[in-house]
Amino acid sequence: MVLELQKPRPIWYIMFSTHHTDIGLLYMILSLSALFMGGALALAIRLELFFPGAQIIADSMTFNRMFTVHGTTLIFLFILPFASGIGNYLVPIMIRYKDMAYPKLNAIAFWMIPPAFALVWLGFADFTWNAYAPYSVISAPGPAADMWIFGLKILGVSSILGAINFVVTILKCKHPDLPLSKAPLLAWSFLTSSLIILVAMPTFAAALLMLLTDRLGVSRFFDPAVGGDPIAYQHLFWFTFHPEVYVLVIPAIGFLYEIIPRFSRKPIFSHSSGVFAFVLLAIVSFASWAHHMYATGMSFTEKTVFMIGTLAAVPASAMHVFNFLATMWGGRIKFATPMMWAIGGIALFFSAGAGGVVNSAMPLDFISHDSYWVVGHFHLFVMGTIAFGSFGFLYYIFPYITGRMYSEKWGIAHFVLSFVGAVMVFFTQHVLGLYGMPRRVFDYPPIPEWIAMNQFITIGAMLLGIGAAIFLVNIIYSSAKGKPANMDDPWGLGGKYYYPYEAKNPHHSH
Amino acid sequence: MVTTKHPVMRNIIGLFIVLSILIIMPSLQYALAQGDEAGEYLDRRVVIWNLFFRMMTVAFVIGAVVSGTLIWLIWRFRESHPKATPTKYEGTGALDE
Repeated sequence: MVLELQKPRPIWYIMFSTHHTDIGLLYMILSLSALFMGGALALAIRLELFFPGAQIIADSMTFNRMFTVHGTTLIFLFILPFASGIGNYLVPIMIRYKDMAYPKLNAIAFWMIPPAFALVWLGFADFTWNAYAPYSVISAPGPAADMWIFGLKILGVSSILGAINFVVTILKCKHPDLPLSKAPLLAWSFLTSSLIILVAMPTFAAALLMLLTDRLGVSRFFDPAVGGDPIAYQHLFWFTFHPEVYVLVIPAIGFLYEIIPRFSRKPIFSHSSGVFAFVLLAIVSFASWAHHMYATGMSFTEKTVFMIGTLAAVPASAMHVFNFLATMWGGRIKFATPMMWAIGGIALFFSAGAGGVVNSAMPLDFISHDSYWVVGHFHLFVMGTIAFGSFGFLYYIFPYITGRMYSEKWGIAHFVLSFVGAVMVFFTQHVLGLYGMPRRVFDYPPIPEWIAMNQFITIGAMLLGIGAAIFLVNIIYSSAKGKPANMDDPWGLGGKYYYPYEAKNPHHSH
Repeated sequence: MVTTKHPVMRNIIGLFIVLSILIIMPSLQYALAQGDEAGEYLDRRVVIWNLFFRMMTVAFVIGAVVSGTLIWLIWRFRESHPKATPTKYEGTGALDE
């Protein structure tokens, strides 16, 4: 148990620690910083689009830089590190081991992130988080683009080191009395997502090197003028980053598997189906990357294969949803803040998945491709499901980290504002896409429907921003002055269920 | 880890897996109806929008069922419901980990 604020230590004790709870805490603090920085960019983007024409952002290049860094920050510096933080904190406890398998490697993986963070933010590249060739090779201004490439390279290595650590910890360090099949589903979620990283990430590492050497003029892999193929970059990119979607969402599903049984006062309905669905998702995640590329002139056969591969994720996702519903069935549900977030996450997960099924049907993809529909779809996943699961889990683990309770009233206010805001923003973006508005535009023609929907979306985004501000004040205030938590059972749910309380930090004995 | 194995719930999961497959089959049919010749997509715009609305109808029906189930669950099984009783796992140690 860390309880940093009750038993304070000098900050460098934590910074140079290799203990899994300390590194988990560092991951969480860094990821929340990234959340607020990336979120601030999102609010600026939405204010810009409140009216047609330039509003608060000077020009389209600056706008491009802002949404590039917004996407890069929230995917690579918020969602992934947050999941790693929770995994570091809980996985060793769940598999009953004293620490991660390689504690020093664990610390190295974390400390690679701040330099990468600095490279991404100080460069402020403009080529979207995809860095598609040939623009990224021929026209993207340096050194911003090169800094982004180096930053992502470092983040990729960090992810691989972290994934190796999780896989070895879970497979080789678990207690002999704990069969892998009985390991908690949160641990399973980290095992499957780490395996995906190990298979997927090297491809993007190669693509980044090729991009960099192309930019330096050493090679011409993606330059069509001399026989290079920019579409090849898209294949390399999406071979990594479609599975990466599951790397983001699988830990969030693992969070829900912890919260829902706990607050329903029941065990999970089917542990084995949860494991099966995780493994199935990990496999099919590699069968669908080219559904992002239907519009690049792929053959009918290729498109059919990737459409079927994409739809294969539906049964596995449905198994998770129905596992959650079946767990709640017959329970005695307490609607504390973590459970509110979990239920909101389930509802939006289903909506995001339904939109994805429409996208994956290749004839229909042509009406939604590169429109605001796509923006609404993937934001519904990353915000509506992954961030909702993450917020819920942060409230869940908060008493165990700080020894104090957060304000339940403000936690629920944060949830309500975020849920209403998310529905206003991301559902409306789907409709706006059907009305024809393209994504990644700084300005748009003054079509009344477009203006009205953009304004509605911006108001929703402001609700999300207000919710985030409430969240920030709540966690800072409650960390210092919140009511002391009953560490055996902070929510009065019955049962002595929980792992974090048992975390032993050797520093606390000094 | 204790798991619940209620036969009704198992049947419901099986039912929804079947329904999920039933979504995939019409999608395949739409795909096979698509031509492979460049330039035909705009000509088939009306057909594509028709398919879109049909798929959205399916998505909304399933969405209504799932969301309705979720809303009913959180209303019926909330701890303040008049019929709420402790679950059979409470106080038995089954929830301890």
